[in-house]
Amino acid sequence: MKKEKYPTKSSLVFYFLRGSKRYFVLAVFFACMVSVLDLINPKIIAYTVDCLLSDGVSPLPEAVNAWIEGIGGAAYLRSHLYLIAIAVVTVALGSAACRCLFRICNATGAETLVQRMRNTLFDHILHLQFSWHSENRTGDIIQRCTSDVEQIKMFLSEQLTTLFRVSVLIILAIVFMASIHVQLTLVSVAFIPVIIGYSFYFHKKIGSQFRIVDEEEGKLSSIAQENLTGVRVVRAFGREIYERQRFEKQNHYYTNMWIRLMQLMAAFWSSMDFFSYVQVLTIMCYGSWLCVNHGLSAGNYIAFVSYNAMLTWPVRMLGRVIANLSKAGISIDRLRYIMNSEEEQDKPDALTPDFHQDIVFDHVSFSYDNGSTEILNDVSLMIPAGSTVGILGATGSGKSTLMYLLDRLYPLPEGSGKITVGGVDIADMKGEWVRQNIGMVLQEPYLFSRSLSENIRIASPSSDMEDVRNAARIASLDDSIEHFKEGYETFVGERGVTLSGGQKQRTAIAQMLIRKPPVMVFDDSLSAVDAETDAKIRSALKENAGDSTVILIAHRITTLLNADLIAVMDKGRIVQLGTHEELIARDGIYKRIYTLQMEQGLETEAAYAG
Amino acid sequence: MQDDNTNVKLPFFGIPKVVPFAMKYKKRIIAMVLMGILASLIDSVFPLFNRYAINHFIGEQTLDTLVQFIVLYLVILTVQVTINYISVWWAGMTEMDVDRDLRDASFNHLQELSFAYFNQNNVGYIHARVMSDTGKIGELVAWRMMDTVWNGSYVLFVLAVMLKMNARLAMYVLILVPIASVLITWFQRHLVPLNRKIRHINSTITSDFNEGITGARSIKALVVENTISNDFRRDTLEMKQTSVRTARYSALFSATVTMMGSIALALVLWQGGRLTLETVLEIGTLSVFMSYALNLMEPIQMMIETIAALIAIQVNIERFTRLMATESDVADSPEVIAKYGDTFHPKKENWEKLEGDVEFRDVSFMYPDGNEMVLEHFNLQVPKGTNVAIVGETGAGKSTLVNLVCRFFEPTEGQVLIDGRDARERSQLWLHSNIGYVLQTPHLFSGTVRDNLRYGKPDATDEEIMRALKLVSAEFVIDKMDKGLDSEVGEGGDLLSTGEKQLLSFARAILADPRILVLDEATASIDTLTEKAIQDAILTVIKGRTSFVIAHRLSTIVDADVILVVRDGKIIERGKHRELMKKKGYYYDLYTRQYEEMVVNAVAA
Repeated sequence: MKKEKYPTKSSLVFYFLRGSKRYFVLAVFFACMVSVLDLINPKIIAYTVDCLLSDGVSPLPEAVNAWIEGIGGAAYLRSHLYLIAIAVVTVALGSAACRCLFRICNATGAETLVQRMRNTLFDHILHLQFSWHSENRTGDIIQRCTSDVEQIKMFLSEQLTTLFRVSVLIILAIVFMASIHVQLTLVSVAFIPVIIGYSFYFHKKIGSQFRIVDEEEGKLSSIAQENLTGVRVVRAFGREIYERQRFEKQNHYYTNMWIRLMQLMAAFWSSMDFFSYVQVLTIMCYGSWLCVNHGLSAGNYIAFVSYNAMLTWPVRMLGRVIANLSKAGISIDRLRYIMNSEEEQDKPDALTPDFHQDIVFDHVSFSYDNGSTEILNDVSLMIPAGSTVGILGATGSGKSTLMYLLDRLYPLPEGSGKITVGGVDIADMKGEWVRQNIGMVLQEPYLFSRSLSENIRIASPSSDMEDVRNAARIASLDDSIEHFKEGYETFVGERGVTLSGGQKQRTAIAQMLIRKPPVMVFDDSLSAVDAETDAKIRSALKENAGDSTVILIAHRITTLLNADLIAVMDKGRIVQLGTHEELIARDGIYKRIYTLQMEQGLETEAAYAG
Repeated sequence: MQDDNTNVKLPFFGIPKVVPFAMKYKKRIIAMVLMGILASLIDSVFPLFNRYAINHFIGEQTLDTLVQFIVLYLVILTVQVTINYISVWWAGMTEMDVDRDLRDASFNHLQELSFAYFNQNNVGYIHARVMSDTGKIGELVAWRMMDTVWNGSYVLFVLAVMLKMNARLAMYVLILVPIASVLITWFQRHLVPLNRKIRHINSTITSDFNEGITGARSIKALVVENTISNDFRRDTLEMKQTSVRTARYSALFSATVTMMGSIALALVLWQGGRLTLETVLEIGTLSVFMSYALNLMEPIQMMIETIAALIAIQVNIERFTRLMATESDVADSPEVIAKYGDTFHPKKENWEKLEGDVEFRDVSFMYPDGNEMVLEHFNLQVPKGTNVAIVGETGAGKSTLVNLVCRFFEPTEGQVLIDGRDARERSQLWLHSNIGYVLQTPHLFSGTVRDNLRYGKPDATDEEIMRALKLVSAEFVIDKMDKGLDSEVGEGGDLLSTGEKQLLSFARAILADPRILVLDEATASIDTLTEKAIQDAILTVIKGRTSFVIAHRLSTIVDADVILVVRDGKIIERGKHRELMKKKGYYYDLYTRQYEEMVVNAVAA
């Protein structure tokens, strides 16, 4: 087991907190200020009620009392009551300002944190090994990057600052209470561990239920997603009833799990209420008993009860923070999974050699995630610089895998051969360098949510509109583009117009051509276009390929027959190698395919003659 | 089309449109309201206990009624805790129940919409309608309503008590209510659009993630990690700036609300203190007033926030109701439903056997989002068992005829007849249950190979499945997977290659034993040898069935009974292969060009 980059939850949290910590520290400071300032107004009120409106003892500290005497004493204030009002408003203003600053600091911290989390995650995901993407479900990863990020933000910005504020409040309240009556304070405080312990108990239950709800929501969401993507299949087979049952079953199950969670939450909240009110009752009774039997004064009793009330709310908040800790903990673990996945790594001193050189596959064997059947078995092939090589083979014979290995989308494990360009092992090169030099058109290309022209030049930002048009022309895409109302500015991809399979393939071809890479790979990239367009693209390509090495994977003999070298693959091996002429002269797969495709061709001959 | 209609204004915030979904839980909602009011009342009772303790126990120095005091307190507490427990639970339940019903309703509605809708709206957009809009509406019905009840009854209760105790002092507090309301509304007016913008950026960020993950292979192959990452950073930066700006407003906002409470308190202290000194007011009453003054602003703020939430939620309600109001372009008539049943309640006992005669009678057709007729007065008779081939260039409109046969679209004019009767005279489900369709871009559902193959015939045995796989030479796909038929195919079949997916979807269609078989470029990504094997299989399979085959590779369709040649969306030639070759028209051009190179080369060799 390799050492994980973030072995604990806190290591990841602190990594994310870089840059936002100071905002949170400031927020906590202002929060504490608020707590302290909020203690002043009750004192002013108590003073007003006790000293000004009746003839009680001042609850204020001696220094303040002396100062009041200095400005004229209670009598003066009694005739100028508005001064009290001004004092209250002034303190409130200070508290409001601190509260405002607290929220601004907190929000700035939270947003900085979220920005960092998102950027880090996104970059990390982009640089993960490709196999990771095949192993993980899109929906699940997106959920982690959105809801879980949100969950952590909520926890760190709302819960954690609350935790500090609440702790300050609790300590202050305890100090004030203890100054009145120690035993009564002990009784009051005795409830705190009970409430916290109880919160921990619920935290576990709520946490596991929350996890279930989360997973069930994911499932429901994928069912809807699949139904919508596969709507044509659903209709063509008339399986609407089945789809409905499947969705409803999951929908109802998910709903019930949510309701169970709500029930747990309701039980938690209301039982917390119960504890707090019982605590209040205990203090009232014990306090009254102390008053009657042990001479506790009425004023002290009232003060104690009001401080105890100050304690109730923070302790409940503390319980809530603890309960939420479970949710946040799960979310952090879910992000830790992503962040601990290994990024693609280049060797130190990775090389960047010229790619206008011979490409050699040297005894390459490969299987996906060690264990399943071998996709490639001892493949050796030499592709001379500047040549055009065709690869033909049955579905699943390993053609695409061979190209993925060449493009270093999958690393070749030790001891299963090597791939070299100009004698340099691609494993010793920079991964990006390899891919920059190999222009690969994938079988099922992906278009980005931007305009067609931006899609075409996405990998070649320095290209101008002229280059874009040129690439589109070679890829025979220009005609299709003219049919779009907005031409090259047509918005495509996730949030735009949907292109047909053939249009996508041709866009991907243009996307590759504009880069003018030294090695061009067409992975069955012409399967969705008709023979005529196929021929057009190939002849344009021949004129424009220059000294690039071209690797063509195709099923049509016509696509391949002009290649300098054709490799025929079967069950992960290269079974035949040679030029078209050589291959049709021998018995074998190539000849069989050729004959099959030719039969029709010769009929055409007959038609010519007839 | 997809529009971000964020400035929707509906009468009464669109609530009337949601009412029918809440009506189902009428009784529970009424109970919740009553409990909410009771809870507010009890909340105001608790301070009285303390007053009693001060006046009786401490004031009179006796503990005589302590037991009764404790018992009464615990009884009321138990009642309150129970009420709180039930109302939180029920509010959650109502929210989730309404959500569930809305999701069911929208999902089921989508199952009946025509392809025109799916062509015009992308999956992500529709998905959000089913999964997220519904959640917002459920929240409105349950929690917003409960909040309004709690806060509203509290405010009313407090105002009534204050007015009764001392009308003059109450006026000082009351005068602040309209001022506070105006201020709060002003803040909300600034906050609502900002929040809307945040939601918008948020959805952009989500689709960025989607792009980064789904497009991972392309991003890597193109080495555009930095471009994509920079764009993402731009979006997250905008998000941060907008959010921080919003936070400043709302911080100021909440501080203002708290200030209003403190001002009310100061007013009461000043004016009430004067009244107390004049002995018009008792100290006890003054303290009650002070606590009310402090606590009145928060519920008012909550109620105004509810209004803001209502304004924001209109968009969701609007989108949802628009989805529900979208009618299918292809809908069965009431008579047809009466006889054959609807999508979810088929009356299979009334279904006739489908023979497979298809006829286009004077059909003209224009796509709902198009502006040009792609078929005009088209006539074609396809007796049962006929093999129809459709050829033409990429994007020429070859799928149109098939869409009409399958009744995915209906003719703008004219009729498509199935077994001599207008397709519209029988239900869609009846037709679809008899059609096997293999698509150009094969789609598999996540699950096992078996689940997928059984999709068209749920009760297929393993023997039948293996026979179908053998027929399309796809046994090797199963052989190389470690769990055979129980192997998972991944999301959208991603664990398989495109060719393998095509083979499986072909087997799936054959297994359903359809009367009409449609192959839309079904073998584009399959190698020639396998394709040859499939060709032979097709010949066996289509025997006795009506079939429509769309193909690029013309070699695959020379034996067809009739070939339709499509160009620019119109059918320009039709006939058998030999006839079309003799004619030396467009088909001849297409065909010869496809083989010219090879023939020339063969001759040279």
